[in-house]
Amino acid sequence: MGKLSKRIKIGFRSIFVKPKVERELDKELQFHLELEIEKNMRRGMNPEEARRLAVRSFGGFDQVKEQCREARGTIMIDNLLQDIRYGLRVMAKNPGFSCMAILTLALGIGANTSIFSVIYGVLMRPLPYQQGSQLVIIHQAEPLAHQQDIGFSAKEVFDYRDMNHTLSGVVEHHSMSFILYGKDEPERVKTAVVSANFFDVLGVKPLMGRAFVPSDDVRGANAVLMLSFNYWKESFGGDPNIVGKIFEMNDRPHTVIGVLPPIPQYPVENDVYMPTSCCPTRSSDRFIANRNFRMMTVFGRLKPGVQLDQARADLSTIASHLQQEYPDSYPKSTGYNAVVTPLQEDLTSQAKPTLLILLGTSLLVLLLACANVANLSLARLMRRQREMAVRTALGAGRGRLIRQLLTESMMLSIIGGILGLLLASSGMKLLVTFVARFTTRASEIKLDGSVLAFTLIVSVLTGLVFGLVPAFSTEKNLPSSLREGGKGAGQGAVKQKLRGLLIVAQVAISCMLLIGSGLMLRSLIKLQSVNGGFNTDRVMVMRLAPNFSKYTTPQDYRNYFQRVLDTARSQPGVQSVSLASNFPFSPNGLTFGPNTNGFEIEGQPVPNGALPPQSDTTVVTPDYLQTLRIPLIRGRFFTDDDKPDGLQVAVINQTLANHRFGNEDPIGKHIRFLNPGGQPNDWITIVGVVGDIRDYGLDHAPIDEIYGPLTQNNFAGNLIVRTGGEPMAMANTMRRAIHDVDNQTAIVGVKTLEEFKDDSLVNPRVTTILLGIFAGLAILITAAGIAGVMALSVSQRTHELGVRMALGASQSGVLLMVLRQGMILVGIGLVIGVVGGFCLTGMMSSLLFAITPTDPVTFLTVSVVLTVVAIIAAFVPARRITGIDPIIALRSE
Amino acid sequence: MAKSKTDLLQGTLDLLILKTLALEPMHGWGISQRIQQISQGVLCVNQGSLYPALHRLELQGWISSSWGASENNRQAKYYELTKTGRKQLETEKEDWQRLTAAIAQILEA
Repeated sequence: MGKLSKRIKIGFRSIFVKPKVERELDKELQFHLELEIEKNMRRGMNPEEARRLAVRSFGGFDQVKEQCREARGTIMIDNLLQDIRYGLRVMAKNPGFSCMAILTLALGIGANTSIFSVIYGVLMRPLPYQQGSQLVIIHQAEPLAHQQDIGFSAKEVFDYRDMNHTLSGVVEHHSMSFILYGKDEPERVKTAVVSANFFDVLGVKPLMGRAFVPSDDVRGANAVLMLSFNYWKESFGGDPNIVGKIFEMNDRPHTVIGVLPPIPQYPVENDVYMPTSCCPTRSSDRFIANRNFRMMTVFGRLKPGVQLDQARADLSTIASHLQQEYPDSYPKSTGYNAVVTPLQEDLTSQAKPTLLILLGTSLLVLLLACANVANLSLARLMRRQREMAVRTALGAGRGRLIRQLLTESMMLSIIGGILGLLLASSGMKLLVTFVARFTTRASEIKLDGSVLAFTLIVSVLTGLVFGLVPAFSTEKNLPSSLREGGKGAGQGAVKQKLRGLLIVAQVAISCMLLIGSGLMLRSLIKLQSVNGGFNTDRVMVMRLAPNFSKYTTPQDYRNYFQRVLDTARSQPGVQSVSLASNFPFSPNGLTFGPNTNGFEIEGQPVPNGALPPQSDTTVVTPDYLQTLRIPLIRGRFFTDDDKPDGLQVAVINQTLANHRFGNEDPIGKHIRFLNPGGQPNDWITIVGVVGDIRDYGLDHAPIDEIYGPLTQNNFAGNLIVRTGGEPMAMANTMRRAIHDVDNQTAIVGVKTLEEFKDDSLVNPRVTTILLGIFAGLAILITAAGIAGVMALSVSQRTHELGVRMALGASQSGVLLMVLRQGMILVGIGLVIGVVGGFCLTGMMSSLLFAITPTDPVTFLTVSVVLTVVAIIAAFVPARRITGIDPIIALRSE
Repeated sequence: MAKSKTDLLQGTLDLLILKTLALEPMHGWGISQRIQQISQGVLCVNQGSLYPALHRLELQGWISSSWGASENNRQAKYYELTKTGRKQLETEKEDWQRLTAAIAQILEA
């Protein structure tokens, strides 16, 4: 080791401290010449002659210097080149081994590179905002009412902005869909409504044009827009003259003033940004005046030097202050508080568990790949015993041999790494799409310098890990190696043991991976087979966005919707049609959860400060049940006779009936919705009970639900159509029909309900597929490893087995003996794997649905599958025993 | 005179340097003088080729170097045998003896 560090020091000096080295070399050679000249002069030469002779016998000053430099600098490189050349020859001589090793490593390293690039891009890379670590997101939470994020009202935004002492900027954000006119077709655009200083606080400079200024955000100012990078690229083809263009939105001309750079947007991707004064809802007096109209998200920036804890304490103080001042708005029973979270954490919290599981899994696969290649190398080394012995005899030190072997393994792992990088880059797109479901940071995932560095480090480490095992098992006993030529039975005992250990490790790792993916698979199957309570066959959903500014009174909307319904129903091929404010597996519902409201049951007043009963609310039309095939359990559903000014009616679901009415018949009971801090609504009569549906994801148990008829409520913008034939074939007909009713209606998200259902399951499905691929790789590699060990052990023991058979052992007896030895290794590995799985799968529990992480069925199935695979893998090579002819076997050595 | 001088066999220079340094630390010129003296002028060490060899041996870790004052008080680079160098000297000596003995046997046969 000391030698190595010395070499490094000398090499380092000749590379980096060159001037000094050169000076010293000059001085040394000069000194020599001077002494030589003095010697010559002592012999009576004149100075000139003395010098000439000295220089001649020295033999060319500069040549010598060059030779010295070479001696210093290149000896290491020479050795390395020699090793590499030799390694290449060895690799070319064993193409089977080399391919197997490189492929195994490429898969292992490729898997890790992909997962790391995701983890780095999403969890580790600093936010691309100025000093992103200072950015925080503020939530108002009511933990006791199970609300982690109730949003902010305008008044609350002002309170927190004005009363805090720890934040240098507090800005608001909410997202709405508006329709943009001025292009070929009305286009529904996702619009973020933000404070004027939103981008200043985030530290984002516009790519083109300017950002908002305070004067944009006052009543009566000209309406302005900023475009997101993607929207500008996709919808305007990156038009360089976009700034200054004018579009009509909400019946006002809006001028584009700037384009944003590509940044992750949060909480959702938006197409355009506008200041709060441009949003009709946000700028209305009614909205601003009401403390309980909450829809905004609030971001802040910590003042320099302020710690997160200080900000948390600061905002909690404000929260308790508000609670004292407005007890109606913040009932004691809800545990109201303000929560400060670093933006980076909030952006990625959803993705974290899945990503960490995937990282762990891919690391296990890499470990397995290492074990397998080490195993292969060991097997090959046993065949190269003689070569090693000859090289030792010719003067190669043990260190030199180890270095040679390490160079070989390093070459394999680096080639594998390069191949892995290619694999990773080809799988990148798929992964990014997958991760985009959890976080808007997905677009930042790329193969950049850090990822390349990671791959290099992993490759080198991998090479070291699987190279060191065989390297240090090189024999020290030279004469016996030479004598036996590396074939003797006792010779490779150490290696054979090592190989056994590696097999145990491989089986254990595969077992854990199989258990992990088995759990995911069982969970997914359970999830997919959950009965949602409705029928998704031949149902299409279109989301409609009428031009809001054209319709002013509730009656306008009702007329509009009635015409849409009538037109849609009259199309040939349509079986039934309904409008609804939400539909099963709607992306909005899956993202933001149910639309819960507090209500009161007649005769059961809610005590002051207590949390009222909560229920999801959905507005529908009479054919809703028929369209989705939801069963009516009691009473009746809505009819066309439920007039706007008639008896106010509601239908509840089974869960709410059981939950709030127990054994009583809910039909005829009265309920009313409560407005926190305001007058309650009118009493509504329950007229029916319908079956439960899981409309917020199959993994979410049905919750309390109240349906109201569209005729007595205002808005239900999702058109649900059940058709006789293929639903998507109707899409264009329906589109035209709706534009016949109103050509200013934007139509988005035309998909079948089946597709929405598939989308809702994409996370568990892709996670399952990824884990399944990893586990499949693992079991393949392990089977190959077991087969390899068995094959070698049989071929090495041919002589011994021949003796046994000659002495009367039966073929099957010998076969069993060999198999048993293999199976003992598999058994040990299996036990370790099951125990390991038992300890580790707990980390997965958040990803599992309806099964425990220690699901016995999975554990048992995996054990059986692995055992069967192992038996087959061991049996195939072991079968050769039956072909052994004792006579030939005995002569074979 | 020139005819009676023998060129060094490849690889033997290392052995000679190690052997010379086994006695005491020495600078490059000293080594060249010593080899000539002891071989009574038979072995002709090309003075220039001495230095690449010294640097190579230093890199191998068999000798180490340090700057010190020479006899007439000038700065000179002194070389010194290391522990591994001493072992290497023994190995090379044995190899050499085996080789010469074998060649001698062949020549006498």
